[in-house]
Amino acid sequence: MIAAGLADRLAAITGPDGLITDPVRLRTYECDGLTYHRATPAVVVLPETAEQVAAVVRACHRAGVPFVARGAGTGLSGGALPRADGVLVVTSRLRRVLSVEPENRRAVVEPGVTNLAITEAAAPYGLYYAPDPSSRQVCTIGGNVAENSGGAHCLKYGFTVNHVLAVELVTPEGEIVWLDTMDPGYDLLGAFIGSEGTLGIATKIIVRLTPEPEAVTTLLAAFPDVESGGRAVSAVIAAGIVPAAIEMMDALAIEAAEAAVRCGYPAGAGAVLIVELDGPAAQVVAEHERVVALCRESDAFELRVAEDPALRAAIWRGRRAAFAAVGRISPAYLVQDGVVPRTALPEVLAGIEALSARYGVRVANVFHAGDGNLHPLVLFDDGEPGAGARAEAVSAEILDLCLAHGGSITGEHGVGVDKARHMPKMFGAADLDTMQLLRCAFDPAGLANPGKIFPTPRLCGEVPGVRRAPHPLVASGEAELF
Amino acid sequence: MAAPASREGEFTVDGVPVRAGGPADAVAGVVPRWVALPGSTTEVAAVLRAAAARDLAVLPAGGRATLHWGPPPERCDLLLDTGRLDRVLEHAAGDLVARTQAGVPMAALAATLAGAGQELALDVPVPGATVGGTLAGGLAGPRRLRYGTARDLLIGVTVVLADGTVARSGGKVVKNVAGYDLGKLFTGSHGTLGVIAEATFRLHPLPAGRAFVTVTVPDPAALPGLAAVAASPAEPSAVELELPDLSGPATLAVLVEGVAAAERAEVLRRALGPRAAIGTRAPAWWGRPPDGGHLLELRVPPAAVRPALAAIGAAAGDLPVAVRGSACVAVLYLALPGDVPPAAAAAFVAAARAAVAPLGGRLPVVAAPPAAAAGLDMLGPVGAAALMRRVKDRFDPEGRMAPGRLLPAAGGTTGGPWTPS
Amino acid sequence: MDPELIDDCVHCGFCLPACPTYALWAEEMDSPRGRIHLMKQHVEGTPLTPEMAGHFDACLGCLACVPACPSGVRYDRLIESARAEVERAHRRPAAERAFRALVFGLFPYPRRLRALRLPLRAATAARPWLRPLLDRLPPRLGALAELAPPLPRPIRLPARVPARGERRAVVGVLTGCVQREFFPAVNAATVRVLAMEGCEVVVPAGQGCCGALSAHGGRTAEAARFARRTIAAFERAGVDTVVVNAAGCGATAKEYAELLAADPEWSARARRLRFADLAEYLAELGPVAERHPLPITVAYHDACHLAHAQGVRAQPRESLAAIPGLRLREVPDAAMCCGSAGTYNLFQPAAARELGDRKAANVLSAGADLLVSANPGCTMQIASAVRRGGRDIRVAHTAEVLDASLRGLSPAALGRPGPGAAEEERRS
Repeated sequence: MIAAGLADRLAAITGPDGLITDPVRLRTYECDGLTYHRATPAVVVLPETAEQVAAVVRACHRAGVPFVARGAGTGLSGGALPRADGVLVVTSRLRRVLSVEPENRRAVVEPGVTNLAITEAAAPYGLYYAPDPSSRQVCTIGGNVAENSGGAHCLKYGFTVNHVLAVELVTPEGEIVWLDTMDPGYDLLGAFIGSEGTLGIATKIIVRLTPEPEAVTTLLAAFPDVESGGRAVSAVIAAGIVPAAIEMMDALAIEAAEAAVRCGYPAGAGAVLIVELDGPAAQVVAEHERVVALCRESDAFELRVAEDPALRAAIWRGRRAAFAAVGRISPAYLVQDGVVPRTALPEVLAGIEALSARYGVRVANVFHAGDGNLHPLVLFDDGEPGAGARAEAVSAEILDLCLAHGGSITGEHGVGVDKARHMPKMFGAADLDTMQLLRCAFDPAGLANPGKIFPTPRLCGEVPGVRRAPHPLVASGEAELF
Repeated sequence: MAAPASREGEFTVDGVPVRAGGPADAVAGVVPRWVALPGSTTEVAAVLRAAAARDLAVLPAGGRATLHWGPPPERCDLLLDTGRLDRVLEHAAGDLVARTQAGVPMAALAATLAGAGQELALDVPVPGATVGGTLAGGLAGPRRLRYGTARDLLIGVTVVLADGTVARSGGKVVKNVAGYDLGKLFTGSHGTLGVIAEATFRLHPLPAGRAFVTVTVPDPAALPGLAAVAASPAEPSAVELELPDLSGPATLAVLVEGVAAAERAEVLRRALGPRAAIGTRAPAWWGRPPDGGHLLELRVPPAAVRPALAAIGAAAGDLPVAVRGSACVAVLYLALPGDVPPAAAAAFVAAARAAVAPLGGRLPVVAAPPAAAAGLDMLGPVGAAALMRRVKDRFDPEGRMAPGRLLPAAGGTTGGPWTPS
Repeated sequence: MDPELIDDCVHCGFCLPACPTYALWAEEMDSPRGRIHLMKQHVEGTPLTPEMAGHFDACLGCLACVPACPSGVRYDRLIESARAEVERAHRRPAAERAFRALVFGLFPYPRRLRALRLPLRAATAARPWLRPLLDRLPPRLGALAELAPPLPRPIRLPARVPARGERRAVVGVLTGCVQREFFPAVNAATVRVLAMEGCEVVVPAGQGCCGALSAHGGRTAEAARFARRTIAAFERAGVDTVVVNAAGCGATAKEYAELLAADPEWSARARRLRFADLAEYLAELGPVAERHPLPITVAYHDACHLAHAQGVRAQPRESLAAIPGLRLREVPDAAMCCGSAGTYNLFQPAAARELGDRKAANVLSAGADLLVSANPGCTMQIASAVRRGGRDIRVAHTAEVLDASLRGLSPAALGRPGPGAAEEERRS
């Protein structure tokens, strides 16, 4: 709960239509795409302008009340999990495409615009927005900025951070500033993108638009098993080819996708690989022949080529629907997001299989094979006692496996609340403390999305010096300090 | 226990070579008292802890290729030379990833990677630059159009803070969003936040072929449309503009690399008009900043390149201004001779900044003769100047890392890059 | 509200961009995901609050979320059961109750609709002068008056029409209530097209409302009553296939077995009868009659209950595009509901109006001479939004366009508003 005074101030900012206080309505905001963690926010605000966002954040700052930003609520790490004692700032009404500037190859949009809507707005100019998370028709660019979202095509084109030119930021103290790649000085924009709402709220975003490639071919290759598919991936990379995307799905993931969208992947496949090549026509033609040959050498038993958009969409349909499609073959599931060096894929997949067998828990694998980003879907029946805990254990051990091979606990879903506890496995105390310095610079009061990313609640004190006296709260043991 | 704070006497750190600074070590005219040469991240931390104990101002230095570019340091007790941090630690060719110590010269790294048919697709504008210097200086070259700059290719970093804290961020996988990206923060930080000790990069296969398409026109107004070149289906890797004099002839050189480079270059040659020619070698000026004692970096939205150059020409009056840089990314170096009087240089910088601001442009001074630098607002207005200072205060609360460098002048902020029309 | 159906939702949010009310208000509670969450709250013990009921009422029932859902959530069944729960457990304010009683007591009954013709015709004629008065009416009554189409003369359809040429099939035709009273020319065109394509067409008397309005309004028992009567009428007529030309009716009729699931005998009888949309049926049958050129530019509007509920998108487009000389244009954002949604524009006039305005702008941007759709509610709604914007557009049903082509009529015969079409009809 928050003080009534603050709720009144918020209502004065957004108008009664932009404030939700009814408990039944509030509960619909209790989780994002990760339903495992839930908290009903004290209030929800739906601002319609950057100035309203800034005023809301200023009011929170003055009242010492935490706030959490949320876009479409599709995140898979609980990054937009509300605070029961805080304000949920929903950006869904900030959804104007403010300008598309083909001559500058950029667009200016508000954070609630969906990823796909940017591409749709740019399409008349032969341009598109390159990062393409599987949820692109629903996830918002504000959420993409917070999470530094990737997508299937980031193998060649990079992530959100490589395609955002500037951001209008409401700082955790409620000031509006621009972080701009054109500005000299520290790359605060680069540090802000992917900070999961802990450094402020983006209220305008200038994105880079990419010219549509001259040619695109999409290849669907069916393999008897995951191992032979993995060999094909290594062979493609070793040949010096950087495809726009290389995606792999194993038999269980194929079964789910088939049930959901009838994607018609080759029957009997132990794994399918989607390899998309794009670029100048001459280059695509040459590389395509090479990729086809390499797949055949790696025992692909069926190859399908899509050169027109309809066939390409058909091939991608199964892949894009894969996560939610698992709902068709299992009552519940956990999505994992570990990363391993590409060359470690075969070992790690074998390890996952062993885990699956040991715990008796089914695991479907969908992954961005080109960059070693795994999305194991750990299936369980939430009606069965203990099944959830077993799935959690498998999920956690998969991350350990990734780290043991020099990988990461998250490739694109973010740390959020879900993986904060795994951060110390990947980073030492000094690493995390140094990251906190950045946070303290932006958010000394610690009100922006607290409890996310970092495992330990921390307090930003006075700027410490090597030989200065410790902060009183630290001295008294009430808080840890930077 | 730390020794008493003192900038006098000897400075020693166990196992780390330290020598007295000499005139050859001078940075923009400031001679450091000592030069330390740590050979590992641990030794970098030891040096910085020792420096902290004695309240020494520290300037990290790599190949010293661009060290003189910035303004003279306010203080420089200790030059931390990364010359002994010269090992490529890991080249995972199958993963297209390399991890290296910061003191490795970029050329040496390139030679190592080329052995496996790979490269770090980051052009270095100045010979002799090291990995650490390239990162700290935020340097990039022509191929930024295709591959981005250092921040886009850096996937992991180990830094050492002013108090000797060793911190890592990122990792050695290309795709990774765990934790804040300190690598981006340190890229372009000019040593003001700490020392970059190790870096991990994503690599690219060496391109199968390359071709240059060049066209020279009598004056900048006759240049072909840059937007069409950037969006060409031939997908150029770089589009560079050379303009020795703002009103004189202009040359546009386009690099096409990869599979079928020759065929794609032919597409561009036809698009660039009858004067365009294809070659296999880069023009002599390719990828280097123009000569001159004052070096500025013009950054504008791509559509504003021409009007910005015209506005700068008007602001320059009789001053000779040479322009060279990445036309389609719209990041261009401007050079003025070093012997331009400081007052005239300062007047030009102010006038040119005012002229490009309405176009959404920035014009920081990258390098200036020490005498002129003192009178110049090097960065010009910065949108998030206050946040930048707060970051600096958190990472280096005692202000001992590269004092006097990079931080914006007080009060200078810009409006947004975009306002509703 | 079946908890198992609720649990199928994995909260991925893929339904959000498909939902018209989310497009309008951008609030979680007015998205399918949010409404399912409200249902979950209710089945887990939270009493049905007026707020909850309001969010269920605000759903258009367009079902655009159903094909958008990768997890296969049966939102159609969920929202109907939620509406039934609202009807059962929620007491609406008196004025709202009265208005709902009026609508549900009127529309499903062709005879009562007919009785309303005279006053409506007077209102139509007087509309220009009544405008200021209409503007002062409570919005819902205003909506009712504004939407009412100009009234055509009734057309009596023969009970049986022989197939033209070789008989390829025997089919029944569902004439509906609104279609029959306000758009009799559509039913006539449907029967003629089927006959010209070789069908013997049976139009049983005694068929009334199919129950769609009641089912979508949560009045399940009433809907079941209508369903049984409809089934019985077609059983008596001796057909096993019934062609439906109104999207909302077709969607409901196809679900009769589920609607009557509580009664095994009736659900079995429902399963024996096949209901098919006209375009769907014609595509299966394959064309035999000659298509005469019809030089006209047509924008095809997807009725939600055809596209989303029945998955019939390609067939009407293909049959239109096969007409020589006809140029087919796509409407931007085609999958978004026009706001008509059965009785929605009566109960939620403000939201319906805004959606109608958006759809009208998109339809006009397609630059077509004629707007074609398979649902009378949609065409009324869109035409009225277009008129509100000071423009005009001719509208027609898919059946009328096909009919015009098969009979070699001129494009001018199509889409004349109201009586014109009917008169044209008699003259030919």
